[in-house]
Amino acid sequence: MAAVAARPHRGAPGFARRALTSDHLAGWLFVLPAVFLVALFSIFPIIWGFILSLQKASLISPNRPFVGIDNYTHIASDPVARQAATNAVIYTCLFVPTSIIIALFLAIALNQKIRLIRFYRLAVFIPVAVSTIATGVMFMWVFDANFGLANWALGGVGLGPFGWFDSPSGAMPSLVIMTVWGWLGFDAIIYLAALQGVPHELVEAAAVDGASRWTIFRNVTLPLLGPATLLLVVWSTISAVQLFDEVFFITRGGPLGHTNVPVFYIYRLAFTSQYGFSAAGYAAALAYVLFVVILILTLVQFWMGNRVVHYSS
Amino acid sequence: MRRHRTTRKKLVVPVIAAIALVAVACTSGSDSGSSSGTGSPGSSGAPIELTMWHGYGKVIDNQGQTNYEAKSLTDLVDEYNAMNTGIHVNLDYIGSNDHALEKLTVALNAGEQPDITYQYGTSMPQIATAPGVMDLTDMVQDPSYNWSDFSEGARQAATVDGHVYGIPALIDNLAIVYNKDLFQQAGVAPPSADWTWDDFIAAAKALTDPSKQQYGWAFPIDGSEDTTWHYDAMLWEAGGDILNADNTQAAFNSDAGVQALTALQQMAVTDKSVFLDQQNTGKIDTLFNSGKIGMDVTGPWALSGYPDINYGVQIMPEFPGGSHATIAGPDMWVMFDNNGHGEAAWQFMQWLTAAEQVKADAMESGHLPIRNSVVTPSFLKAFDQKFPGEGLFAQNLTNVTKARPVITSYDQISRIMAEAVVKVMLGQGDPKSSLDDAANQVNQVLAGG
Repeated sequence: MAAVAARPHRGAPGFARRALTSDHLAGWLFVLPAVFLVALFSIFPIIWGFILSLQKASLISPNRPFVGIDNYTHIASDPVARQAATNAVIYTCLFVPTSIIIALFLAIALNQKIRLIRFYRLAVFIPVAVSTIATGVMFMWVFDANFGLANWALGGVGLGPFGWFDSPSGAMPSLVIMTVWGWLGFDAIIYLAALQGVPHELVEAAAVDGASRWTIFRNVTLPLLGPATLLLVVWSTISAVQLFDEVFFITRGGPLGHTNVPVFYIYRLAFTSQYGFSAAGYAAALAYVLFVVILILTLVQFWMGNRVVHYSS
Repeated sequence: MRRHRTTRKKLVVPVIAAIALVAVACTSGSDSGSSSGTGSPGSSGAPIELTMWHGYGKVIDNQGQTNYEAKSLTDLVDEYNAMNTGIHVNLDYIGSNDHALEKLTVALNAGEQPDITYQYGTSMPQIATAPGVMDLTDMVQDPSYNWSDFSEGARQAATVDGHVYGIPALIDNLAIVYNKDLFQQAGVAPPSADWTWDDFIAAAKALTDPSKQQYGWAFPIDGSEDTTWHYDAMLWEAGGDILNADNTQAAFNSDAGVQALTALQQMAVTDKSVFLDQQNTGKIDTLFNSGKIGMDVTGPWALSGYPDINYGVQIMPEFPGGSHATIAGPDMWVMFDNNGHGEAAWQFMQWLTAAEQVKADAMESGHLPIRNSVVTPSFLKAFDQKFPGEGLFAQNLTNVTKARPVITSYDQISRIMAEAVVKVMLGQGDPKSSLDDAANQVNQVLAGG
């Protein structure tokens, strides 16, 4: 870089020669395959999706008239979109804190020096590696209102029976339990790595100063976990807003729309005719709005994180 | 899952599925290698290659069982390929038929649509708008094809605005499949051909035993077309209609519609005699086969999933003054004219849906014959002997008197109706106001186009 910059500027021919011989060219050649793939699978669909969002279109018929921003203005008066947004907020508010708090406790437990600790760590992480569909089949029967293990076990201690996925009020909490179970291992591993990065000197110094275990955790360990927490909050929020697989496979948005979340609604608009034959353009518009919402959420979280996270390593 | 005969496969431990996938990936590679070798007769150059999508499953399923639906189609295609007509058909199993339209949608956008694809009849109005879809109106009128031999309901479903876009691939209908042993234990007379819905409700109640977690009936409340068509049949049995004659107004909120939904409400909410399946991924079949459910309103595809129980089949009940009407789900073969291969696709389709092949397929797979001329007394006898209970389903085709509206907004109407049915069955609405509310929404859809 420095050598290139130091060369005297000699106009266009010199520029071309410089471009061909410089490290830049090699650099660009190295990233070219990646750039090409990103352009093909990300940038092109992003542009195509935007064009689609300005059309009244089904994905089947080639007849796609432009309707301007009608699709965007329609969102405000669409009760199903409002319901999907509400469901997303409920899910995110339940999923993000629950999974992160439980993961923190798990990570602390997994950070102890006890026998078989590698086995426990593996056991906690396994659900992350299990496919959503397998998890779904399992929970569908565990949470079966009539024949499920959960109601049988809870019935043993005098609770229930609960409707789980089948009841309008229980379906969303059931989804939260299932997805928290599936994501816990991931969150716990992130926290575990962060915990192992906490310098022993700080903990020992605090102990020498007479701090209790709780005080050490509260004032030394927890602040040092700030960056990990920020990462998990951002990551979990994005994945919560994008919830799809579990809904698609288990509840199909039901009962009565109580688990109809944005991405599932967008899928139904675009690829089925259940909300009208020419709704793919509207689906694209909703997808764009969802993208902007996620972008804003992430920016807000980083902005808040920078004010709260004290020790960024 | 409606009209997907091999739903139980979905519950297979995914690890096994993954291993099977790897195995399939290996074997299918060698399959295509050998078929391209045998496919060239050498005399007239390379044959025209046609791709045909279907959703019947693999010939040997993940549990190692022979899937006779897939085997039957594969055998017929192999037979055709062996005739060396200059046309070679390659079968492609693309997963559940429930998602066939979505897959076709994606393929169309990539320009990778197959030459022939299996699709639900209710998808025909959408498919009619696709580029390259073959308009078969003139072709089926050829006297040698004998188009009127196909059942009226199936031909209606294949026709969009007077144009034929599909050839019936499969037709089935709903009837009562009941567990004979549970009826005997409960001391209830089994369903008869002159049953009314009151008889059905009483039997469902008598068969329900909460202590044994046993239900009289089961109903899919996932809000899909599966919910709607079960209700449609009852609506027609009460003498009602989905829409008015020219498809401009909702008609299901009539007295007949309310009567049908009130019967469902009675069983689901008051008697609690119905197992309500929210997920609808094969649970009902599993429970019925385990003797936990007394009656199942289902189609002929389900019978192969009930090897563990002693079942009987009976036609649908009627509402007083109504009929024993049932609903048919005709599925279609849809063709695309790719690279000028449309003529070849039609040639193959004529052969596949000729009476001889229809009969062979019925006897091997248990499909109801799609051509009326095949249903002779001697055929019925042999058919019912090989597939107990299927004979009644074949005869029940005469109770198919109405078809669902063939319009592009049908899926939307179906969704709105299903929501009303689910709402009432979950005890969150009363039949009349729920249907009126749904009718208002449907009228808005019909007015808005």
